[in-house]
Amino acid sequence: MIAALAREWRLLAGPARLGLLVLALLASVAVALGLADVRQTRADIARVQALEARETQAVIGFAKGDAGEFGYYRNYPVWRAPGDLAFLAPMRGDAVPAIMRLRMLALEGQINDNESANPELLLAGRFDFAFVMLYLAPLLLIALLHDLWSGEREAGRLAALDSLPGANRRLWSPRVVLRAGGVAAALLLPLLAGGLFEATALPRLAAVAGMVLASLGFWALATLAVARMQAASATQATILAGLWFAITLVVPAAAHLAINAAVPLPDAAAIARENREEVHAGWDRPKPQTMARFVALYPAYASQAGTGVAFHWKWYFAFQQLGDLAVAGDAAARDAGIARREGLAQALGWLLPPIKAAQAVQHLAGSDVAADLAFKARMRSFHRAVREYHYPYLFGGETMTAADVAAAPDFSAFAAGR
Amino acid sequence: MNRVRIVAGAQLRLFVRSRLAVVALLLLAMLSGIAAITGAAQAGRMAADRATAQQAANSEFANQPDRHPHRMVHYGTYALRPLGPLAAFDPGVDAFAGSLIYLEGHRQNATTLGAARESSGLIRFGQLTPAFVLRVLVPLLLVFVGFAMIVGERQTGLITLQSAQGLRMGELIAGKALALAAVAGIAALPALAALGWAAAQAPAEAGVALVMAVAALLWLGLWVLGITLVSARARSAQSALLALVLAWAVLVVLVPRAAAGVAALAHPLPSKAETDLIIHAELRQLGDSHNPADPHFAAFKAALLKRHGVDRVEDLPFNYRGALSAEGERLTSTLFARHAAEAAGVQMQQHGLLAALGLASPAIGFAQASMAGAGTDLASHLVFLDAAEAHRYRLIQSLNGLQTYAVRAADDAARSRDPIAERQSRVSARFWAKQKPFAHRGPGPEARAAAMLPGLAVMLIWAAVLGWLLARAGRAQP
Repeated sequence: MIAALAREWRLLAGPARLGLLVLALLASVAVALGLADVRQTRADIARVQALEARETQAVIGFAKGDAGEFGYYRNYPVWRAPGDLAFLAPMRGDAVPAIMRLRMLALEGQINDNESANPELLLAGRFDFAFVMLYLAPLLLIALLHDLWSGEREAGRLAALDSLPGANRRLWSPRVVLRAGGVAAALLLPLLAGGLFEATALPRLAAVAGMVLASLGFWALATLAVARMQAASATQATILAGLWFAITLVVPAAAHLAINAAVPLPDAAAIARENREEVHAGWDRPKPQTMARFVALYPAYASQAGTGVAFHWKWYFAFQQLGDLAVAGDAAARDAGIARREGLAQALGWLLPPIKAAQAVQHLAGSDVAADLAFKARMRSFHRAVREYHYPYLFGGETMTAADVAAAPDFSAFAAGR
Repeated sequence: MNRVRIVAGAQLRLFVRSRLAVVALLLLAMLSGIAAITGAAQAGRMAADRATAQQAANSEFANQPDRHPHRMVHYGTYALRPLGPLAAFDPGVDAFAGSLIYLEGHRQNATTLGAARESSGLIRFGQLTPAFVLRVLVPLLLVFVGFAMIVGERQTGLITLQSAQGLRMGELIAGKALALAAVAGIAALPALAALGWAAAQAPAEAGVALVMAVAALLWLGLWVLGITLVSARARSAQSALLALVLAWAVLVVLVPRAAAGVAALAHPLPSKAETDLIIHAELRQLGDSHNPADPHFAAFKAALLKRHGVDRVEDLPFNYRGALSAEGERLTSTLFARHAAEAAGVQMQQHGLLAALGLASPAIGFAQASMAGAGTDLASHLVFLDAAEAHRYRLIQSLNGLQTYAVRAADDAARSRDPIAERQSRVSARFWAKQKPFAHRGPGPEARAAAMLPGLAVMLIWAAVLGWLLARAGRAQP
């Protein structure tokens, strides 16, 4: 077998060898870019955390232990730390920020903030490993395998080759294995290098390798099925390129339209306005009414909820919270709608194996829609933890010492997982 | 010339008879139709939604009750990026650029919303729009239809036969190119009809729509030239097909993405969070309003007192708190403006690098030209951000002006303790209705047509090079 593979490599035409090398090079560049991206994202996160710590010191300077001042002025960094496979489909420059700052004020006005990314670069799409695997590798595989038999037939050698004893075992199988294996190696070697660099957990790396092989396996089988047909090599190439075109471009784009039309979402601009209306109406409503509604949520503060005529932070933060509560249903319905859209897209993936493989890689890389939604969910629980940490100080009227400030919730505890 | 027409006619009849070409054209027409209809419906609905949301934000602001002006500073308003009529043809960056900004005092907020954040992951595979059809799908269709035009006839010996009858290679090439150009025209028809329909809804857009149609035809013309060239020079139909599909994959799929990656790496953009924190730190250097002994605000106060010849802020003929707010807003806004200009500068550098890399792939030039024409490019988005910030600053300072001149200083000082002072510190609701609402139209048609020129120039360079190569091929022996 080794000898047969070596022979097939010698027989491989110059352009085909070049194609394999170029694919390996592109996959390597994609992995290298991904690693650079991930490093920059981590640096972004670290810089913002450090700057925020300095900012908090400044707040400590003027807040003078007032929990309300801390609640108003202090920001908490929240982030999506790139995981050990993020280099395959990095998120830097995404519309969803890798790191952002949350305050204790109403969350709805903060949670949907975009990164100040260049939308033109987002539109172009990313040159990452997922892209090379989904778009480029199949094209090379098709080019290498589509004329396996028709090429020899058109050269007038097919009958002679087929008449060799054990032609399948001695000739065609090694040829398919070498070419498909070459394409797989061009992807898997850069993947392995990236995985070693990032010290990726072995099962996760193996899962990506499995997706690569599954996707290439699909294309190899489809190509061989078409190559088996009695047709001119150019016809076979046309059919396969058309299939590639349909699977990777046309069907996903059309499905995107259909899915968005099928699953309408609550109007986000209206939710944002309603949240603002509710928060600001708090200024004009009788204080006892606001406090009574808040106490219904947090009965533990019933005895401390009394307010005088003067401004009081506990009242201010109570109506901030009531503003979020007023749109909680709509906001949840919106996230559920986005999840439903993604669910339909995932279902489509089961019909188109290469799409499913790409989706699985996106998921493992932590840059898919599910990861965005999970980030939002973690922000919500973190915001809640921050509020609930401040409430005892606000309602009890105790001062917040530097130690209390330092002991406030940290997103690290919520960023776990991915 | 006559023989060119005969060659073209014969080739067109061949196209009609070939099932592949007809089926492919029909499929494409169907996709274009879907893209055109859904594009028009979606863009129309989004434009209407945004107009409604803008209206709602304006009227909510105008209908606020009597309030202290600083409460209105925090109440704020919203700016929505309008969607022009040609966005139905090419929505450009719209899905990836947030379309809503909350405008309030002290802060320059991030944009929110955007289709990319509310869609499934499929949006990364591209959006089926008329512009996408023209940029991505039609060229590949032309490749499939035209790759064997000439090389196929050479392989069957037909060319030798024709040249024996006196047909020159140049005439053959011209005829084939003409036939393929006809197919390109037919294939582009539904998408161009969508453009025409969009322009018909807004006659002022007709001129720039025409330039966009020219850009699209120029782009497809490049493919007609390139396919004819490869078909004339290739050794076999199969190698012509592989070379053309490869060229398509590289030019349309690979280079634009790789270029975007290079641009992002070459000109890194700081995160919004980092910019905000740097602004906070710089602000403390400039003038820290939390610090009672801050030199900047002390000097500001001293200058005001001196100008009005009084010793105490209470003796000023206006409400000092309002003046202080206006000064604070002025300081923060200088920093906002500087950092926004820096971020916009970096993004335009990225855009410029993309445009330069467009020399390697005219797909970039075509995309940039098309978006610029439709008013859905990066530049239009940046203009919107600027307009929103300018509106925010004007509105906030106007409200600070009300606090300075329409709220009595004594009431303002006592309002958080004294309900009567609180009541008296409120300003009549009719002032809110007098504020000019946010109205932004984006760059006009002439400016947009001018912005298309770099992209058009790149395509013309490519056309010249391909035309020259084709002319050389025409002089060769058949």
